[in-house]
Amino acid sequence: MRTARPTDRRRRSRKGDRMRVVAVMVLLLLLEFYLRPALVEIRHGAPDFMMLVLLLLAIRRSPGVAAVIGLVIGLVIDVLTPAHFGAGILASVLVGWGAAWGRSLFFADNLMVNAALFFIGTWVRDVLLLVFSGTSLKAMPTEALVWAPLQSLSTAIVGVAVVIVFRDWLAIRIEA
Amino acid sequence: MREPAARQAARSDVLLFAGCIGLALTALALPRSWALAFAASLRQTAFRPVVALQSRAGLDRTSRFDLEQVRHSHDSLALLVQQQAALRLENENLRGLIGVRARLANPIVSAEILHQPTPTDARMILLDVGTANGVRIFDPVVTADGLIGSIVSAGPHSSNALTWVNPDFAASAMTADGRVRGFVHPATASRASGPMLELHGVALRDSLAIGTTVMTAGAGGVYPIGIPIGRVVSVGKEENGYDRIFRVLPFAYPGNASHVLVLVTPRDSIFPKALPAIRDSMVRKPPPVPPHDSSVPKLAPETPRP
Repeated sequence: MRTARPTDRRRRSRKGDRMRVVAVMVLLLLLEFYLRPALVEIRHGAPDFMMLVLLLLAIRRSPGVAAVIGLVIGLVIDVLTPAHFGAGILASVLVGWGAAWGRSLFFADNLMVNAALFFIGTWVRDVLLLVFSGTSLKAMPTEALVWAPLQSLSTAIVGVAVVIVFRDWLAIRIEA
Repeated sequence: MREPAARQAARSDVLLFAGCIGLALTALALPRSWALAFAASLRQTAFRPVVALQSRAGLDRTSRFDLEQVRHSHDSLALLVQQQAALRLENENLRGLIGVRARLANPIVSAEILHQPTPTDARMILLDVGTANGVRIFDPVVTADGLIGSIVSAGPHSSNALTWVNPDFAASAMTADGRVRGFVHPATASRASGPMLELHGVALRDSLAIGTTVMTAGAGGVYPIGIPIGRVVSVGKEENGYDRIFRVLPFAYPGNASHVLVLVTPRDSIFPKALPAIRDSMVRKPPPVPPHDSSVPKLAPETPRP
């Protein structure tokens, strides 16, 4: 009887990890486009599952790949809400690249660090989106200091829940 | 040995990042008509399942949670229509007596707003109806409460509407009694409770009481006359002091609305024909509406009054 070589086993386990990450991302996208709109009406401050997908993938990849993921997610945002086409792409690319680059500065295995990443990532994306969409300076404080933090908070709470539930699948070690 | 590999990876990261930024800036610099056409074509191809899924989700939510509300609205409207039947008949008789042709009614198409969780969602909403339902560019979008905006791009099964929250929005407006006319556009500073509109172009000699209702004036041809816009909440002055500015609190907020009505352009309207260049550059020609499409109420043929 032939046994699998260690390299094969490692390759298979890496493939399995990748499939689990893909499953979590598909679940988040399903939440974004079906479950959430089917259950509640989206209002100001609703959690952004697309941002969670971007941030969770960005901290696992190199900055260049994270920027490409940001490009794709930004394109989805701009195609569905073309208030100012390109604003979502630019904001998501910058946030994706920033999240991946920032990972080298901190060790993201702490739950609070993950929560802060989700909060800051969403808030920065919202503010950049508003700036690139041509929001007037007078309207900016309300949007940037009231509504954007509210959405960032809800996204961070959902993100922490996702990390706790899928910590094994996402291979995230959570320190107390 | 490892250092060159790491340097190579860092270089490829920088190249990928620069490429993405370049593409994003190119997208940002695209003319609006090109960007809308590109977004509409992507919605019809690669992103069609996403739009269909979200549309299905909206229908499911309505049938599951909003059924009671829909039934209540239906009953209230049925009562209203019943009460106004005599009035409508009387109006038609009077119009006939003085030789005025019957008022043209806009056919309507009901649509679901597919909201996205982005801060700019309320500026440009995505609707689950398109040219297959008879929706065309420049068709006004309203709710039962008031004006929302107008269609700026329409594909076969989805369309985008520019709302009054968008800085590019403008509409001719008047008071309910028709005494004061002007135009509304979004206020530059919004309150914590939400964005507002400003009524401009009102002469200094004219004054409006707080609480006055503002409606569309019908000038320009996009919005028909008489769609409620909002209520005057405060009075200000333009920086140069040439006219008064009235801050208007709109009746309908696109960020909160879930269902809207698209007032489909009447078949004899000259407006789309008058602007063929704009129409052709921003939207593809809609296919002919099927004869038995129940979602688009048919216009009764107009008969000239003797």
